Amino acid sequence: MVKKLVILKGITKTYYTGRIAYQVLRGIDLEVEEGEFLAIMGVSGSGKSTLLNIIGLLDKPDYGTYILDGQEVSKLSKKELAYIRNRKIGFVFQAFHLVPWATALENVLMPLLYRGNLKKEDEERALQFLTRLGLEKRINAKPSELSGGEQQRVAIARALITKPKLLLADEPTGNLDSKSSQEVMKIFKELNKNGLTIIMVTHDPEIAKFAQRIKIIKDGIFVEE
Amino acid sequence: MFIKYRLLWGGLFHKKLRLLLSVIGIIIGVSSLLLMNSFGESAKLKTLKEIETFGPEVIMVVAGSVRVHGGRAIQTEITTTLKPDDAEALRKVKGIKYLSPVFNGDAIVRYLGNNLTTIINGVNEEYILIRKFPLAEGRNFLKDEIFGYKKVAILGYKVKNQLFGNEDPMGKIILINKLPFRVIGVLAPIGIDASNADQDDQILIPWSVALSALYNVDYIRSIYLSVESLEEISFIEKQINEILLKRHKVSERNKDFQIIKAEDILEVKTQTTKLFSSLVKSISILCLLVGALGVTAIMTLSVNERKKEIGIRKALGAEDRDILLQFLMESIFITLLGGIIGVLVGVAGSLILLPLFNYPLVFPWSPILISSFLTIIFGIIAGIYPAYKATKIDPIILLRQGF
Ligand SMILES: Nc1ncnc2c1ncn2[C@@H]1O[C@H](COP(=O)(O)OP(=O)(O)OP(=O)(O)O)[C@@H](O)[C@H]1O
Ligand SMILES: [Mg+2]
Repeated sequence: MVKKLVILKGITKTYYTGRIAYQVLRGIDLEVEEGEFLAIMGVSGSGKSTLLNIIGLLDKPDYGTYILDGQEVSKLSKKELAYIRNRKIGFVFQAFHLVPWATALENVLMPLLYRGNLKKEDEERALQFLTRLGLEKRINAKPSELSGGEQQRVAIARALITKPKLLLADEPTGNLDSKSSQEVMKIFKELNKNGLTIIMVTHDPEIAKFAQRIKIIKDGIFVEE
Repeated sequence: MFIKYRLLWGGLFHKKLRLLLSVIGIIIGVSSLLLMNSFGESAKLKTLKEIETFGPEVIMVVAGSVRVHGGRAIQTEITTTLKPDDAEALRKVKGIKYLSPVFNGDAIVRYLGNNLTTIINGVNEEYILIRKFPLAEGRNFLKDEIFGYKKVAILGYKVKNQLFGNEDPMGKIILINKLPFRVIGVLAPIGIDASNADQDDQILIPWSVALSALYNVDYIRSIYLSVESLEEISFIEKQINEILLKRHKVSERNKDFQIIKAEDILEVKTQTTKLFSSLVKSISILCLLVGALGVTAIMTLSVNERKKEIGIRKALGAEDRDILLQFLMESIFITLLGGIIGVLVGVAGSLILLPLFNYPLVFPWSPILISSFLTIIFGIIAGIYPAYKATKIDPIILLRQGF
């Protein structure tokens, strides 16, 4: 039997702006198996990023249960959540979110800083990742000196350096031209083939095609498969 | 390992001008604190040194009404009512160890071709014992020389050098206002005393000669005496006061003499020093506080600007503690860097400025310790708020549109 990496049941989330309550998620149920590549689609404001924040343990749901890799996580402390984020989850963002003053290599190594000691092997491994993603000549470049596609590849290397079980990507191609988008999706496809579980948010059907499964969210709830 | 520190500290060195500005604030604060403190230490030492030549067991009776101004006894008018007999009369007070009448005046002194003007102190053989002036060579006056109107002189160190150079002065005849005096001794170097008089620039002669032959007066300017035991000093002072009031037939209100102890001088001096140093200390601590506030402001600005970096670090697994420590360390680093440079500037400043203002040179150990300690404390205090703010940044902002 294939193991379920992510199990969400009845997840709700309400935001308050002033006294006005706005329910962004209204009972999300979702199961993602190990090795799956899932795309979540939906119009702007439908709650995709909110859901991804919850799956990525950056935010907490108001109600519902969330079991990640066999562990109930909704009652864990901030410290424990930080630990799981560091060990099990890799993030790729639409806006890349690289640290601006750090070089490509330093950005890739950043997650390992919070694992205790940085070793010489870690540096070599980071170089390997950057080489595999075609960035061997750009390791000492700052994000501002890199193209969008290059920045996103650095971000992917950073997500992979910790050997996560789950890769979360919020519109990873949203700021890229079509050529770079295709490259990034090929990388995702390749990673998924090697066993990495990926949950990707997009509203581009062309991009969603790379996934095995597509779920559509509308007004905070999944509508059809 | 180098890269680890790059990852932790890189953000601090990213904006060099800003780093420089915040460091400069601390440098100014620390160096002024240190400078002021070493001036304070040096001033204390200076007072102590001056007081040494005017021991706590010494009492001075000065003719006329006298103000003590900045540690200096100033005679406000010439009074002719204090006589040598008054000095003799005080000898009956029990507990007095040494006593000497003093008449001082200027004179032109001559030896062969050398001329100079100096202070002449007419005293008796007990005077150098009261003042604890050591003799470099020769001998003290004899009692017979005092009462026998003998023209003998003991030279201050500077006077001897100026008149004689390397020549041996003992037994030589010098002219004081054209009268011949025989040199019988030379004082060792003493320096400036509590009354700001250079004790190396004087000549001691018997008071009898000063009054009769040199200045032709029948009064003296002061009486110096020392007591056997410090405990009795107030009692002795009281008795002296009573005797002189009676002899001069004056009341306490319009008395024509003043009694001064080392304690009185010390009190005025330490009071001014204390006031000065506490004022200066609060100003320099204020400087440091302003510097620290500058660090807080700049670090808060930096935290605001680096929200994204902080969010990323948290998403990647940094705990609040990691973030708190990182930004606290950045503030401490800034203050420490400023502190170290400030200490260097302050020490250099002290070593240059102290001699310039005629203060004794002290290496400011305790000011260094105090300012270093305060800097670290202020660094931590300055860093707490921005570091705390940094921990409050929520990484969910990273997935929000337009961030
Ligand atoms: N912290 C917040 N406070 C208040 N409202 C919020 C907050 N975060 C999100 N929202 C609102 O919740 C709704 C869903 O936001 P979310 O970012 O999840 O949408 P999305 O599906 O990712 O949209 P997009 O495709 O534009 O990224 C939006 O209307 C947004 O304004
Ligand atoms: Mg979104």
